Amino acid sequence: MTTTSYGIEYTKVAELKGPLMIIDGVTKVSFDELVEIETVDGEHRLGRVLEVGFGKAIVQVFEGTTGLTIKGTKAKFTGKTMEMPVSQELLGRVFDGLGKPNDGLPDPIADKFLDVNGEPMNPERREYPTSFIQTGVSVIDGMLTLVRGQKLPIFSGSGMAHNILAAQIARQASVVGTKEDFAVVFAAIGVQYSEAQYFKRSLEESGALRRSVLFLNLADDPAIERIITPRVALTVAEYLAFDLGMHVLAILTDMTNYAEALREISAAREEVPGRKGYPGYLYTDLANNYERAGRIKGKNGSVTQVPILSMPADDITHPIPDLTGYITEGQIVLGRDLFRKGIYPPVNVLMSLSRLMKDGVGEGKTRSDHMEVGNQLYDAYSRAQEVRALSEIVGRAGLTGVDLKYLDTGDKFEQHFLKQAPDENRTLEETLTRAWDVLSGLPEGELTKIKEKHVRQYYKG
Amino acid sequence: MSSNSALENMIGKVLDQKEAELISQIDSAYQESLDNLESSRGKLEAERTRIVEAARKQAENLKRQIIGSARLAARNQELLTIENAVNKAFEEAKKKLQASNSQDSYKELLKHMIEESISAVGGSNAVIIECNKNDAELVRKVVSELQNSGKVQQARVSDQYIDVLGGIRIKSADGTMTYDNTLDSRIERLKPLIRKNIAQMLRGVE
Repeated sequence: MTTTSYGIEYTKVAELKGPLMIIDGVTKVSFDELVEIETVDGEHRLGRVLEVGFGKAIVQVFEGTTGLTIKGTKAKFTGKTMEMPVSQELLGRVFDGLGKPNDGLPDPIADKFLDVNGEPMNPERREYPTSFIQTGVSVIDGMLTLVRGQKLPIFSGSGMAHNILAAQIARQASVVGTKEDFAVVFAAIGVQYSEAQYFKRSLEESGALRRSVLFLNLADDPAIERIITPRVALTVAEYLAFDLGMHVLAILTDMTNYAEALREISAAREEVPGRKGYPGYLYTDLANNYERAGRIKGKNGSVTQVPILSMPADDITHPIPDLTGYITEGQIVLGRDLFRKGIYPPVNVLMSLSRLMKDGVGEGKTRSDHMEVGNQLYDAYSRAQEVRALSEIVGRAGLTGVDLKYLDTGDKFEQHFLKQAPDENRTLEETLTRAWDVLSGLPEGELTKIKEKHVRQYYKG
Repeated sequence: MSSNSALENMIGKVLDQKEAELISQIDSAYQESLDNLESSRGKLEAERTRIVEAARKQAENLKRQIIGSARLAARNQELLTIENAVNKAFEEAKKKLQASNSQDSYKELLKHMIEESISAVGGSNAVIIECNKNDAELVRKVVSELQNSGKVQQARVSDQYIDVLGGIRIKSADGTMTYDNTLDSRIERLKPLIRKNIAQMLRGVE
């Protein structure tokens, strides 16, 4: 984040209201303009203009207004929007939620400065995502395949293992069978200090930090900073992807904290609240971030997004997951039942879906039986769940031979395919072998979603 | 006597039978152990391969991790070295700038800065101009020239000096607006761009 600037400094603060500061007597100020604020004690903060008119400017102070006073506070309007200095040197660096270095190293030497608000991707120039990203996590690679340029959120709940999964994906993700560069941009939004340290250590120890850029906004950082963190992270992701031609995986965790910050500002601005107090423009705001993922025709790189959000009270109809689901291309849902059973990653596959999987797998991309195996696993696990419910009523004795096979297949699916150690990086081949181990517990005739030639080749029954 | 010999015969037979039985058992146990050994050879071989494979994977990861960390540490050291050199370059440049305020071009620069600053605070002429002690006389002269030419009317040079390299700072008469046009502020503004150029020179990039 650049803090050096040039502009008029005003001292006429009219009002301080929540995270907002209202300045009087201003002229020539623009929306979204970056504001440098100096407190009476000489402390520097940053803000941006939310509204201008009638000689007043409403400024959103990122570090909060605690400690600011009406008398003695100076606000310098810099005449430009918030910018992030970008260059290849960002790889391996750790920044705070506003993009300031957090690793004891100097500001990055910039190739250029980019507006953190980005520019919407021209829909006509978008290229349809069709290439596979391997995460090393069986349930994702096998059944919810991530495709370069896709936006695939993880819906989790309070206390569940989403951050462990996020770190695992960040460590292990790769593009297979190509020499193209791969990078991870990791934005932690409102996470605890211990979690931030875990992400950092996890990437350092695995050697993945040198291809990653970390933005850490901690839970005790001002909530308003969270508005900027995903924007700064996505600006860097776009630069790495479309200027340097890298395939970038952007992981944003936890977007619920982002939406909470948005709600806080909206309340301070006295806007008419929408569902659960979130502003009416929550959808648009989320879309502004999510739609920064994709591929562009004629350019090599891609930005793939995995936003993670914790659903309050595990409620999937809550506005944040609900609106996210409208924008993204599928979702990975973590299940409380599986989590309680000690299964990691606790992905509830029956509620999860990757809409772009069909275009990113198969002959020439992964393996010819990939899609069919994924579909058959869905079918088998779904049937196993039905049989489980039935067995609770009639008991195992009341089940048919085929039902019993499905029951065993359900258990084997959870223990042999779904369950995986947080440091276990499975190849796609290993994942599909495990999938066939599970499916081979069923009679051959039950494999109705798989072509006969694949059954002949891989079935072990 | 005869009953004794019959008993001995019987004992001999039993012993022979037991001996044969034991030998057969030993043979079969021996054969069984050979079979076991043979069958475990395959298992052992598979286990050995698995352990070697796991160790190879671990070694590869470790190698990647060590090389990655070393590269990163070297890169970070390079960044710190470049930053030190950049800071030194700035210090030198500031010294040179401080010594250059007697040149004619500096007077022109001040004139331009005053006009630009007055325009930035809304064109109001009722302003207070601040500068450092060394420049005060020159600034007064420039302001007087500008007033004579009609470009500036109610500007006043403050008696309170500011601790800067050069340039001026303009305040509106009521003190609510300040426009910082000092050399320090200009350097700060351009620093990110200049840093890039210095770093490129240090790295030998054209």
